[in-house]
Amino acid sequence: MASLSATSLSFKAPSIQSTRIYQVLRKPSSFQSISFGRFQSSKSLRLQISCAAKPETVQKVSDIVKEQLALSADTALTAESKFSALGADSLDTVEIVMALEEKFNISVEEADAQNITTIQEAADLIEDLVQKKPAA
Amino acid sequence: MRTSVMSQMQRSFSIDLPSLIPLQLPSRRETHLWYILPDEVKSTSLLKRYSQFLSPIEKDRVDQMRGDELKKNALLARTLVRTTIARYQTNKAVDPGSLMFKKNMYGKPEVDWQNCKNYNVQPLHFNISHTDSLIACGVTVHAPVGIDVEDKERKIKHDVLAFAKRFYTTDEVNFLATILDPEAQRKEFIKLWTLKEAYVKALGKGFSAAPFNTFTIQSKPGTEGGYSLCKTSEVTANPLEKTEECNGRWKFDLLELAGSHYAAVCTEDDQADEGAFSVDTEGSIGFSGLFITSFSFLQELL
Repeated sequence: MASLSATSLSFKAPSIQSTRIYQVLRKPSSFQSISFGRFQSSKSLRLQISCAAKPETVQKVSDIVKEQLALSADTALTAESKFSALGADSLDTVEIVMALEEKFNISVEEADAQNITTIQEAADLIEDLVQKKPAA
Repeated sequence: MRTSVMSQMQRSFSIDLPSLIPLQLPSRRETHLWYILPDEVKSTSLLKRYSQFLSPIEKDRVDQMRGDELKKNALLARTLVRTTIARYQTNKAVDPGSLMFKKNMYGKPEVDWQNCKNYNVQPLHFNISHTDSLIACGVTVHAPVGIDVEDKERKIKHDVLAFAKRFYTTDEVNFLATILDPEAQRKEFIKLWTLKEAYVKALGKGFSAAPFNTFTIQSKPGTEGGYSLCKTSEVTANPLEKTEECNGRWKFDLLELAGSHYAAVCTEDDQADEGAFSVDTEGSIGFSGLFITSFSFLQELL
């Protein structure tokens, strides 16, 4: 039975209106609920408009995740890969975020850091923050 | 009040799992802490039987885990929660598989008593935590509980003080900075992490309700393993004007499990009674105010 699910991302409203892509995923099983740090939140599912990150960003995030979680080099990661499904706990998530901050030279808010649950979410957040940085 | 560490092995020759050994609910001042060491569970047939307890959604989540180890641990975590809660139904033998769970409005899991078949409603609270090598479940009555476990040897990839400056409070950073030996410092960092996590989980309102840099946990002088919580408000312009609110409302305990893990336990307590620390002759340690039992169970099937 196919059911509709959507990825919800906890962004701060970007100050610049950019091209938005409506991102909807179809999954054969239960709804992908919003993950709330340690718990899967049962808040009502919202379809959110999000900007999809570039493949290079997704790749860089995957590399950092693999390193933090000590995954083998041939572990297949996709943008939808969930940190928790890879065995990450909250300490891992925070370390991943710190590594991403260093790599991309950005600063992530505490609440955002704990709410990242997939590689896609991390990549999207990174691009959002990089975009908002003042030009060098 | 005592802590007893029991390792129990039962051999059963029946094709069904033996019935669970019933438990008395903890008293209001007690927390029961149960744990499994996944490495001790090797029987695939046993794991198959355990999977019968899981709901379709839980089975789904187990399947989503990447790799056999993670799948096994996810299965064992659900098995531990279900069988532990089922055991507190002392009046009858209930099926751990018929327990139903729901989430509070912030996403914290709870028992959905209304929808559990054959279960008596109990004022039971639980919380689980796991690492690769240990899965734990804490149980209390009448008060929410939060637990967090971490491998003592867990390496931090970043500089510990930099990490602490980023996420902990100034007081906690200052405390860590006084520890010169890097190993000892790393261990204290981990202990603090588990205590802070346990608090957020006990609170049950998600991470945003209590960001790590808004509360300090420090050891209570004169107690061994006793900690207290102070809320700091760092939103003042003058850093010397921190408002601190140290209340005794939240109780903490930090212990070592299986010689390999730190476990932090946090519960809410409206009776501000300071517990004394006692040791009984069997070599187990008791805290009045916290009663902790650890039980590693392993059952073999033919």
